[in-house]
Amino acid sequence: MQNRTFLQRFIGASEFGPLVLLIAELAVFTFVNPAFLSALNISNILTFTVELGLIALAMTLLMTAGEFDLSVGSVFGFSAVIMWTLFNAGLMPMGAAFVVALAIALFIGWVNGLFVTRLNIPSFLVTLGMLLVVRGTALYITSGFPQRTWSAEGSVFADILVGEFSIGGFRVYMSVLWFVLFVIITHYILNQTKAGNWIQASGGNAPAARNRGVNVNRTKVLLFMFSAAMAAFAGIISSIRTSAANPNSGTGYELEVIAMVVIGGTVLTGGRGTIIGTVLGIFILRAMRNGIVLIGVPGLAYNIFIGAIILGMMALHSWLERRHNAGT
Amino acid sequence: MLRRTFLGIAAAATIVAGAFSPALAAGKTFYWISHGAPTDPVWTYFLAGAKQWESDTGNKVNTSFHSGDVPSQQEAVRAAISAKADAIVTSSPDPGSLVKVVDEARAAGIPVININTPDPTVKFNAYVGMDLQKAGAAWAQYLVDHKLVKSGDFVWMPVEVPGATYGVQEEQGIASVFKPLNITWEVTDATLDQAEIINRMSDYLTANRAKVKAIIGLGDLVTGSVKRVFDQVGVKAGEIPVVGWGNSQDTTQEVINGYVNAAMWQDPQATSYIGLSMAAMAANGIPPGFNVYVGTLYEKNAAPLYDKIMSQK
Repeated sequence: MQNRTFLQRFIGASEFGPLVLLIAELAVFTFVNPAFLSALNISNILTFTVELGLIALAMTLLMTAGEFDLSVGSVFGFSAVIMWTLFNAGLMPMGAAFVVALAIALFIGWVNGLFVTRLNIPSFLVTLGMLLVVRGTALYITSGFPQRTWSAEGSVFADILVGEFSIGGFRVYMSVLWFVLFVIITHYILNQTKAGNWIQASGGNAPAARNRGVNVNRTKVLLFMFSAAMAAFAGIISSIRTSAANPNSGTGYELEVIAMVVIGGTVLTGGRGTIIGTVLGIFILRAMRNGIVLIGVPGLAYNIFIGAIILGMMALHSWLERRHNAGT
Repeated sequence: MLRRTFLGIAAAATIVAGAFSPALAAGKTFYWISHGAPTDPVWTYFLAGAKQWESDTGNKVNTSFHSGDVPSQQEAVRAAISAKADAIVTSSPDPGSLVKVVDEARAAGIPVININTPDPTVKFNAYVGMDLQKAGAAWAQYLVDHKLVKSGDFVWMPVEVPGATYGVQEEQGIASVFKPLNITWEVTDATLDQAEIINRMSDYLTANRAKVKAIIGLGDLVTGSVKRVFDQVGVKAGEIPVVGWGNSQDTTQEVINGYVNAAMWQDPQATSYIGLSMAAMAANGIPPGFNVYVGTLYEKNAAPLYDKIMSQK
């Protein structure tokens, strides 16, 4: 009886749909090319996936509170540029430059939050404007030149952020552990704390939340700051791993991250969010990008397949969601 | 008192106007309009050449980047015509895309020098830069001459922007060598984002490692990513022959360390510098009746020279 209850709860969970999608995807790709599940390929998938994933976790909280942040891609590139510019110019050690870059990102998030909550401008417009400001600033201060990052090699700080080690043939970057840590933290915040209730209430029905004493504005400002900080953190990790801090890094990431969150089951209009769903959404999208290369689609047809699979997945997701709602 | 105030205001206005108005600045005004992205490393060297020319000659050079956006670049050329530019230096985003605006400039008596990407369909006064078909043919011929590929082999050619002029012309040159030898190839989309480039190239190489006998990087970002892709996939330096562009320090280092066999240096600063010089010449009534071709395929021994040039940016 207890097992049946668990099974029912499992099937009834909002993450069930994305889980089915991910399993189906993995099965199809592995069937077509067994190398899809090789240690090397899994290591490759994890490498970049978790960097985008860090941003998606913060975006999940923000979208649950009913807001977007389109500036995350530009903050991703900008923060790495700031850190490496300060470090390469000899102005401060890498750790201090990292803190300054994070502080600037927090400021960017704070400005986004103030514009949205105090001036009542939709976050879509505010963060679109901020995207341009931040991207333009990165270009201006670097004159378009990428910042040199080779000096990160051998640095303890770099090892803590993105050092690599092997587990039974799998090459794992430290960024994977950071991702796991933030999954646990954000999941706990959203589901087990008063702050999580505030986030969901802010996105579900803000006036009602205010009447019940929730400081909606402060909640949203803090989430914008968290979103920018996570984008900066991911950008810095990525810059060390790829040995490249280009001012244009992160272009288009915002849309991919939002797609990950939505596919995972977080409601676009706010009020309901799921970190586990987002983790599934992250892997659905990134495994798909990897898988269609492995099964050998023509190189220039890549985007056709990506677009078609996303449409197909969203249709399947919608169908599963309808079935799920009808059953509850 | 009133007269002194008026004279003071007039003097201040003259100084401000002199500082901000190109029309009142010394020398002529040139427009340097690029189809490239400001974040593409090689274009930063082209820009550096234009800035150097401006500083050396005392002329004014207004620069802009258009990231492959044809309408935006056409608008910039028309803005230069409206501003009565003395001459324009520009690259071609897509074949034929600048035909009309260059005709308009020429009709207005403004010379237009084409740099970086040639386009014979447009009536430019002259061209300065690589012959991209010859560059493509040179890469392919290098692989054949050094017996790095043979009949029946497969060559992978990643590119940042599929369909853009540079990749299309390079592929035409490559085809002229490979097709008669029955060597096949595939062009893949790598994007302009560094992390995504490494990711996509790693995926492709993981899937096709046994099939790929050589790699031709059709752009600077993809060629400059080879070491990081090889390291990620577990390919040793030299295991798969690579040729491609060599206008970034990432690539000079790869050539020095054996990840890339040979890379093409396209003299970016010199291209801008000579392009602007020809524009100035044309603006002064001396018509350029010739094109200037640049480009050198360098190997390990010459790589430090280009590495040093780029480290000075």
